[in-house]
Amino acid sequence: MKLSHKKKEHNDFPTVWRWEITVISALCLLFSALLAVSFGPIHLSFTSIVKTLLGIENSISTQDRTVLLYVRVPRVLLAALVGSALATSGAVYQSVFRNPLADPYLLGAAAGAGLGATIAFTSSTHNLTGILPIFAFAGATIAVLASFFISGRFFADPSSLVLSGIAVGSFATAIQTYLQQRHTAILRPVYSWILGELTAATWSIVAWSTFYISISFLVLRTISKRLDALMLSDEEAFSLGVNPRKLRIIAVVSATLLTATAVAASGLIGFVGIVVPHLVRGITHSSTNRALPSIALVGASFLVIADLGARTLVSPAELPIGVITAFVGAPFFLYVLRRKRMGHNSD
Amino acid sequence: MKKKFTALPIFLVLALCAQLGPMAESFASPIKLPKRIISLSPSATEDLFAIGAGPQVIAVDDYSNFPKNTPKTNLSGFNPNFEAIVKFRPDLVIIQSSASKSDAIVSQLKRLKIPVYVEHTPETVAQAYSEINDLGMLTGKISGAKNVIDKMKKQITTILTSGKINSQNKLFHELDNTLYSATSKTFVGKVYTDFGLTNIADAAATADDGGYPQLQNEYIIKSNPDYIFLTDGESLESVKSRPGWAGISAVVNQKVVILPEDIPSRWGPRIVDFYIAVAKALKK
Repeated sequence: MKLSHKKKEHNDFPTVWRWEITVISALCLLFSALLAVSFGPIHLSFTSIVKTLLGIENSISTQDRTVLLYVRVPRVLLAALVGSALATSGAVYQSVFRNPLADPYLLGAAAGAGLGATIAFTSSTHNLTGILPIFAFAGATIAVLASFFISGRFFADPSSLVLSGIAVGSFATAIQTYLQQRHTAILRPVYSWILGELTAATWSIVAWSTFYISISFLVLRTISKRLDALMLSDEEAFSLGVNPRKLRIIAVVSATLLTATAVAASGLIGFVGIVVPHLVRGITHSSTNRALPSIALVGASFLVIADLGARTLVSPAELPIGVITAFVGAPFFLYVLRRKRMGHNSD
Repeated sequence: MKKKFTALPIFLVLALCAQLGPMAESFASPIKLPKRIISLSPSATEDLFAIGAGPQVIAVDDYSNFPKNTPKTNLSGFNPNFEAIVKFRPDLVIIQSSASKSDAIVSQLKRLKIPVYVEHTPETVAQAYSEINDLGMLTGKISGAKNVIDKMKKQITTILTSGKINSQNKLFHELDNTLYSATSKTFVGKVYTDFGLTNIADAAATADDGGYPQLQNEYIIKSNPDYIFLTDGESLESVKSRPGWAGISAVVNQKVVILPEDIPSRWGPRIVDFYIAVAKALKK
């Protein structure tokens, strides 16, 4: 019964790449990025912004130019990169674990990164800008690797990986809490980091996150055609000529690289990895592999807009971006879920 | 202003209470002066040693690092452990109201009839004085406390008369490198107000009732502060290397001041040192 339902769904998926949707999401991202670049405490006229971005001479002052090119633009770009990374890795995890609730932090990446960041904060209070991302990245990667090695049965059963991910996550959180209790001075920075922040965006962060995110995207691009087979049982996947075990490892590794990069660049930003994939699939009625480019683009726009909110709602102060993503994301997500369900009922 | 003090209610010293004035209702003082004091607040520790009650202190929390000769223990002031406190058989415990589960600890200590003084984070220098005064009365060092307060008042007045500056000058107080700051509503912020400086964080006061908003990078660049006070291990060089910051007046004129650690977060006698540090920076 379950099997036939899945097969039916599989056959329902459009077999061609929906290029219109990708183009629309790309335009959407371009628009959000322009919008985001236009707002900030310093008022800049739209024409001078566009001219400066295109490298055309105009009357903008040196200071305003620096603010635009070295403060605002990297921040918007970083928001876009992190948004696309989180949305994509969420989508991939959901396919790999056949679980619609899987999110980028499922395998202990969040807790691991949190622990890494906490260790960085405890070890030195001076100039963390350099070492914090490295610690967070290492923490996330080590936590996911630990989950892999502990769950020996991953090749046979992805749910045992999820369980060991939860165990590793709790373990890392326990150590993190212990460290925080021992060093109360770091409570605020750790808390602020956990809520996610793009305040520290610089071109160098943008550069290295682009590097890692591009690698993951390239890998995912080559396996994307086979990715949907993971939604089926392993036997069915084999019958389609796909080796689900190998594929699963490649997919999880690239998704983890995306998550670790996002976390290292901007802390923990929740909800993007769950909301965006479901949103895009809900709107396009398409399967994961066809939707991956659109999911990445919509994820980018979503976070760019959320960050615009974080910067402008309480200006000149900042709101933690995680608050915005959850506040906007949760109701929107419920709306999409409900609409999708009603659509199914009327079929 | 309100200070809660719970003591052995049987032994009330009326004469002392009379001196307490309007606060007397919530106050009671032990007839025997405490000889086994535990301070779980770094500021209170500084107060106690300054007023001459140091010899009566048997244990202080792990953050009480001043003065040097404090009986430092691994007791936590932030997350106090009831049993660990009781083990010292204290006859007065000073606890911060912001400590986790402070209410529960206070009521447990009450049950054992151990006097407790709950320190509320002061918002003004006047409140810091009244804490020193309270501690003086509790430990029998009333004149010691009075001397400390008088000396502080005198020093601060002297610093302010010579150090007050043009109110057009703007400052940015940096708590950490994600640009959290303190408004004029806070203890630290009021010190700057005393010097007549304008705090750029005040524009963001509505965003954080506690007085510690996170400012936007771009806003700080736009505000162009004349002074930057750092408390987070950053320096003129590291601040200068931030994009867009090289043109900020404070950076251009090298008026980026590294405040001594701890001082802006302690409201003991070393507040004076904070005033001195600010005055020195303004004179440069």
